[in-house]
Amino acid sequence: MEYVLTLLPMLVKMAIVVGVLLLLPLPLTWMERKIAAHIQQRPGPMRVGWHGLLQPLADAVKLLTKEDHIPAEADRRLFAMAPVVALVPPFLVFTAIPFGDPVQVFGTEVSLMLSDMNVGLLFILAVSGIGVFGTILAGWASNSKYAVLGSLRSIAQMISYEIPMGFSVIGVVMLASSMNLSQIVAAQEGLWNVVVQPVGFFVFFVAGLAEAQRIPFDLPEAEGDLGAGYHTEYSGIRFSLFMLAEYLVVVMLAALNVLLFFGGWKGSPFFLPDTVWFLLKIGFFVWVFMWFRFTFPRYRYDQLMAIGWKVLLPLSLLNILVSGILML
Amino acid sequence: MARTTVKGTGWIGRLFFFDLLAGLRLTLRYMFSKTVTHRYPDHEKWVPYERHRGHHFIKTNDEGDVNCVACELCSQICPCDCITVIPYENEKGDRRPKVFDINLARCLYCGLCEDACPADAIKLGQEYEVACDDRPKLVVHLEDLVAAPRKAADGGQVRPAKLEPGSGRRSVATAAAGAEGYDWWRHIRKGK
Ligand code: SF4
Ligand code: SF4
Repeated sequence: MEYVLTLLPMLVKMAIVVGVLLLLPLPLTWMERKIAAHIQQRPGPMRVGWHGLLQPLADAVKLLTKEDHIPAEADRRLFAMAPVVALVPPFLVFTAIPFGDPVQVFGTEVSLMLSDMNVGLLFILAVSGIGVFGTILAGWASNSKYAVLGSLRSIAQMISYEIPMGFSVIGVVMLASSMNLSQIVAAQEGLWNVVVQPVGFFVFFVAGLAEAQRIPFDLPEAEGDLGAGYHTEYSGIRFSLFMLAEYLVVVMLAALNVLLFFGGWKGSPFFLPDTVWFLLKIGFFVWVFMWFRFTFPRYRYDQLMAIGWKVLLPLSLLNILVSGILML
Repeated sequence: MARTTVKGTGWIGRLFFFDLLAGLRLTLRYMFSKTVTHRYPDHEKWVPYERHRGHHFIKTNDEGDVNCVACELCSQICPCDCITVIPYENEKGDRRPKVFDINLARCLYCGLCEDACPADAIKLGQEYEVACDDRPKLVVHLEDLVAAPRKAADGGQVRPAKLEPGSGRRSVATAAAGAEGYDWWRHIRKGK
């Protein structure tokens, strides 16, 4: 009985997280298309459902019924594996992301996260680093020049930006003296980290955009020069898995920005439940990412590398140094 | 068009990305401005200006007779050679067209026929939905031309419309009261 009582909440939480994450891209694609449209003074999808709300469903049905094509010269096993490999890390990351303080349900305390790790932040950075494997495998297995070029760019980009990203959060870790995300949030009770760590936030935000391969750093899937980059050869359901992974990475980065620099779920106004407040903040960041996407052009490859190594890396190191001196 | 040029901000401007911020501000303003898309064909329809050169029509006089005197000037001047006029003498002794065909598939809507006509007969009207799935249907005859829509006196606006049922599937502006159109150009952002 004891056993069931500890296992059951875990299973329920897992089911909720996985279910929500799987369904999340549906509203996100709608949102992205609407934002794109309104920036260009168009109404966006309007025909399927009220203001096109059912459009993502129609698109999903279309994607799932499309032919699942594997190129003749492709490495079939790797080709089939790549979308799953790309999808697993973003899902894994959400095991370590807290959504609020522990709540009381039926007299037992339930924490609003799957696993309260002491090194949650490290885990997230490490696991999201694995995400690049899906891209590498996809590009390699497709046996197509565009896909390989896309995945090569992706590797170089991910490795370059992982470093400033990792350094930029060190200031936050120093302030909270912990790598536990709940404690990092608790340490921002009075004052958001973005106020004390503006440079850290800037570096993290920009490096995050590059990690998520969003515009202006979307070189791995630059439509203009690479077809679609590493997933050029994918179609149907496999392609939709890549899209799913991409949207999840965006949500993950939004969540990390909120947790590390914008006070997490603390200090919600108007008696909003903490979790709702947290989700609203995430939504805001997702919206900002999309707004960026339809505003900026893409950086050139050498510019991308220059920004990563010559600007963000020194900035993040300087940030660590200054925060260290100030904390002494 | 709206500009986002940022000048004279010096190194502070570069350090804090004033140029990127200006771009973001611009797209933010656009995001919350009115959309300009016509919801054509089943909700709205653009009624063209009076000067618009669309599907031809032929004017009739008070006696219900066509103005055209079958002089064939229009078919002579037509650069596409798409007007066929065959004259005859009607019972009143007037010269009138027996056949008046225009091949809209060839027509380039230049309006030269309208200019050449000495009898104020052939005009280019407001109708622009001439697409169809069969090329012979694009040859319109005298009775089609007499029945075709005239120039739009109230042109230059977007009117509520609905999609006509049937095989033609044309969009028709609803004539009902309260179905007021609006000047589309009002919604276009100009300058700042
Ligand atoms: S509009 Fe021009 S091309 Fe068309 S019928 Fe008249 S003269 Fe010919
Ligand atoms: S439409 Fe005008 S120009 Fe053409 S034949 Fe008739 S009168 Fe002559």
